[in-house]
Amino acid sequence: MSGAADRRIRLTILGGFLGAGKTTWLRHHLHHGLLRDALVIVNEAAEIPVDKALLAHASRLSVLAGGCACCNGRAALVHLLREICAARVGSDAPPAPLDHIVLETSGLADPGPIVETIRTDPMLVHHIKVTEIVVAVDALHGLDQLRREPLNRPQIETADRLVVTKLDRASRSGLGRLLATLRVLNPGAALVGAIMGSPADLPDAAGELPEALPDASGSAGNPIRAVQLELPLSVDWTAFTVWLSALLHARGDDVIRVKGVMRTPAGRLLLQSVRQIVQQPEILPEPHGDDAPHDNLVAIIGRGFEAAMLQRSLRVFVGLAPR
Amino acid sequence: MCANCGFPSAPGHWTEAGAATASDRLRARFRRAQVLQSILRAYGLMVHDDGVTPGLTIATQTGISEMVADLTELWAVAERLHGRPIDPLDPRFVGLADDQHEVVQG
Repeated sequence: MSGAADRRIRLTILGGFLGAGKTTWLRHHLHHGLLRDALVIVNEAAEIPVDKALLAHASRLSVLAGGCACCNGRAALVHLLREICAARVGSDAPPAPLDHIVLETSGLADPGPIVETIRTDPMLVHHIKVTEIVVAVDALHGLDQLRREPLNRPQIETADRLVVTKLDRASRSGLGRLLATLRVLNPGAALVGAIMGSPADLPDAAGELPEALPDASGSAGNPIRAVQLELPLSVDWTAFTVWLSALLHARGDDVIRVKGVMRTPAGRLLLQSVRQIVQQPEILPEPHGDDAPHDNLVAIIGRGFEAAMLQRSLRVFVGLAPR
Repeated sequence: MCANCGFPSAPGHWTEAGAATASDRLRARFRRAQVLQSILRAYGLMVHDDGVTPGLTIATQTGISEMVADLTELWAVAERLHGRPIDPLDPRFVGLADDQHEVVQG
């Protein structure tokens, strides 16, 4: 690629563990026009592309749902990127060609294999250049995730920029220890802070001791899975939240992430949780155009359960006959 | 903090976000008490919501009762009163135990 100016499409990979704040960071940047004209690709491990509703400010948006782009969804990512590249150079290419893609990975993705896929693909390598890997780290849960989830480590280690999110939620001592740990895991990465996507100052972590992390090679024998829960029409918001609040209380360490949209008398509510912390539900606008709503479907990501188990529990819990 | 890039959030505890009008809120409170009562009865606990006083009351059969503000508090108090968490993934909810209908219907 030497000589003539590099005209490849710049690719920013936005990664981070489940619930780390990737979409919030991206929403803020889109809202403020900081990623103007970029094509945003959202990859969801779950089948439900909830994030599409949240990224209305993206001028161009594609969703890859139902598979992680670093492993079982890799072929779909390659197919999509090849289509994008082909369209860019085709006879009907747009007058203002695409020059930037932001790929928001699923919370279960390791950015490393994604970069490797692009670098080794005979077509993509000539059209796409990975310019930055931005990884969100949850200030509140980040240290615990590093202890428990081997997957979280390569995400952090591959970052060019680590964005420590939710700074307002973390204690000063916990945050200091997290920052010291991140410095050890990835000393070369830029380390910045954010609150609701806005840049925020990090405290001085000088003198803080890093966490002694367990051996990362002991990968989980109990893998994280994403299940999709279809809510029967007879399960209203109130009944569902009685069940979900009990589930989060009893199994908050296993239920890592919940995302979904439910129709209620108060509107379409976006439900999101990270472990036991549930975000205040946002009232989403009605979808329009050809956007098919994925209402009353909830993705539950974690370990120690299966879809049938959750469906059965919900039905019995709220007084419906089990199926 | 930036508060401009999201959609408006429903006020109050997250579990109460599904009702926007006074009548919906009242209906939701009674529905919540009904669902809770059907679950907690099997654990020797009772729930009462008069629809007027904020929050709800959880009580044991021996007469210990506590007011809680919301469901987050309720499950914590239920755990303390029962001795362990009320777990929706307990076999009685997810298994084929014959007693599961009794749990629901008392």
